[in-house]
Amino acid sequence: MGTYIVRRLLLVPLLIFGVTIIIFGMLQFLGPIERSALYVRDFPKNDKQIQGLIKKYGLDRPIYEQYWRWLTGVKDPISGEREGGVLFGDFGYSRTASQPVINIIKNRFPNTLDLALWAVFPMLSVGIWLGVQAAVHQNGWIDQLARIFSIVGTSFPTFVFGLLVLIVFYANLQWFPPGKMSDWVSVLLYSGDFKQYTHLLSIDALLNGRIDVFLDAMRHMFLPILTLSYINWATFVRVTRSSMLETLRMDYVTTARAKGLKESVVINKHARPNAMISITTLAGMSVVGLLGGVVITETVFNYPGIGKAAADAAQQLDVVTILGFAVFNGLILILANLVVDIMYGIIDPRVRLA
Amino acid sequence: MAELLLDVQGLETRFKTPEGIVHAVNGVSFTLSEGETLGVVGESGCGKSVTMLSCLRLIASPPGEIVAGKALFLGQDLLKMAPEEIRKVRGAKISMVFQDPMTSLNPVMSIGQQMAEPLLLHMGMNKEQARKRSIELLELVGIPNAADRLKDYPHQYSGGMRQRVMIAMGLSCIPQILIADEPTTALDVTIQAQIVELVKRLREELGMAIIWITHDLGVVANIAHRVAVMYGGYIIEEAPVKELYANPTHPYTLGLLGSLPKINASERTRLYSIEGMPPVLYQKPQACPFAPRCTFVQERCWKENPALVNITPTHRVACWADTTSGSERL
Ligand SMILES: Nc1ncnc2c1ncn2[C@@H]1O[C@H](COP(=O)(O)OP(=O)(O)OP(=O)(O)O)[C@@H](O)[C@H]1O
Ligand SMILES: [Mg+2]
Repeated sequence: MGTYIVRRLLLVPLLIFGVTIIIFGMLQFLGPIERSALYVRDFPKNDKQIQGLIKKYGLDRPIYEQYWRWLTGVKDPISGEREGGVLFGDFGYSRTASQPVINIIKNRFPNTLDLALWAVFPMLSVGIWLGVQAAVHQNGWIDQLARIFSIVGTSFPTFVFGLLVLIVFYANLQWFPPGKMSDWVSVLLYSGDFKQYTHLLSIDALLNGRIDVFLDAMRHMFLPILTLSYINWATFVRVTRSSMLETLRMDYVTTARAKGLKESVVINKHARPNAMISITTLAGMSVVGLLGGVVITETVFNYPGIGKAAADAAQQLDVVTILGFAVFNGLILILANLVVDIMYGIIDPRVRLA
Repeated sequence: MAELLLDVQGLETRFKTPEGIVHAVNGVSFTLSEGETLGVVGESGCGKSVTMLSCLRLIASPPGEIVAGKALFLGQDLLKMAPEEIRKVRGAKISMVFQDPMTSLNPVMSIGQQMAEPLLLHMGMNKEQARKRSIELLELVGIPNAADRLKDYPHQYSGGMRQRVMIAMGLSCIPQILIADEPTTALDVTIQAQIVELVKRLREELGMAIIWITHDLGVVANIAHRVAVMYGGYIIEEAPVKELYANPTHPYTLGLLGSLPKINASERTRLYSIEGMPPVLYQKPQACPFAPRCTFVQERCWKENPALVNITPTHRVACWADTTSGSERL
């Protein structure tokens, strides 16, 4: 297992290179003036200043040199401080939000993470459970139910489902509010009595022992979680079901039955771990989707996550910010891939020992 | 006379497929006595595997369904047993070894884990005892460094070794019947011979009865006491092995034996030399299923399906023709 992980880790720089080169390629569609926003806050007013900036940040240099500078930044000749450098987390300056892109990420990402964290549990547990049950009782009522569930889920666009939920539970029943937190919670956050250990509101609430804050956070996240889970369940149930059906046809499942094992042991110990191999990829991709910010869901529920920030930036054609998010997403994708690969190694000895 | 272990009567199994109902087994009857080895031969798709899987109720349902028959094991009908009762038979009293050792072992469980399962389940052993016994069993089937290899996974074993593991696993609870479903088909010739010798040796040591399913008439001659020939979901001829080879009676059996080279019997022999294709039966045949391919075919063969009848006390055959004279049997 150790050597397997090391081998996978060695791939990471290569992947980072791949992701960054693609995004850097996209940057080349912008003119040097716009690209200067990667380094400076104010757009230059006159030609002379522009030329100065282009010189200073080497925006007229050969492309490989520019790429390197984009990755690692430029030393300011006077102050000696580094400016730019996506590898150091400097993704440029967002004109529309009037702050460095990294600050937006720092502010918004914990909210997305908070949401993703709570959405993952129902998504994986219910999705996989239902898929397994549907396969085991093929053509039974639970299978039919799962199939309907899955068809409806796949054909229901997020914004329709989200709006529907919003109308019913917020507008009509007024059970669950949109947004991130109630006013009294935001007052509490600024008061300093509430320690923000992780910046994930629900987790911090638990760490502070504030059940009321936790419940408020959950009340706000409930509808987005419901929407995200539901939309993802559809795929999860389908993939788990077909993967499980395929596994149940395998010879080793018959071998297990021929040993006299109970059906529950055959399914849970012999079939399911094998079926999990293909589900792991999907789970990884769904988590990446959640962490990258779920633009539509966050927008519908006015939830201040990174997806909503991206949507706002895109609406105002803030290219630098969008590309900054793209780099960030790319890095998350690489990380998630690594986790998925390690999971493979844990599940499948053929991978681990190959 | 040796005790009757297995008495299968009129077994019928069907599969519901999108193309229609496949009549895979159409009323198969056979017996197996203590210490006896029954060879089952026939072309691909003739229902050999489905017959044996049906006896242990291991066919997938859906799409499979056992629609008629009995499978008496020591007088008790396996087809009517409660699920927890038949689980006590599977792996403990009747165990199976399958055709393809590459796919018959669970790829994500270690050999040790998989070997331990029947021992923990049926023999009341604890983990340590099961481990010790697994090592003994692996040594019995000739796996070197057995103790070290328990923690390995199937992909770290070769095909022949995996089949040895399957056999060791099948024998672990010292069953009364071992059903070997083409256990050597996927292996190369020298390994095949080793496996056959291994099973013969273990049969002497443990004294179990064996049902050996195969395409290979050479292997059957080597290992079986009695042979049943299947075609289209029926047993069409059955006799002690010497009798069958000396007096093959059914045209299909004649065809099979005609394809067996006499000079170099150790060479692999396949059964594909009879003209035509074996049928996939979407209807239960009203006529003899072999008629379209039969060189002895008579008018009656197209109208009535012959029953399996005794022509000597130990030799049964299902055919209207007298293949020695070419006329109709009376
Ligand atoms: N799960 C299934 N679904 C549909 N039909 C099946 C299924 N399993 C077996 N059959 C059909 O039943 C018939 C008998 O199959 P069986 O596996 O018993 O053949 P076999 O004699 O063991 O052949 P082989 O030598 O290739 O193993 C075949 O026509 C096959 O198509
Ligand atoms: Mg078969």
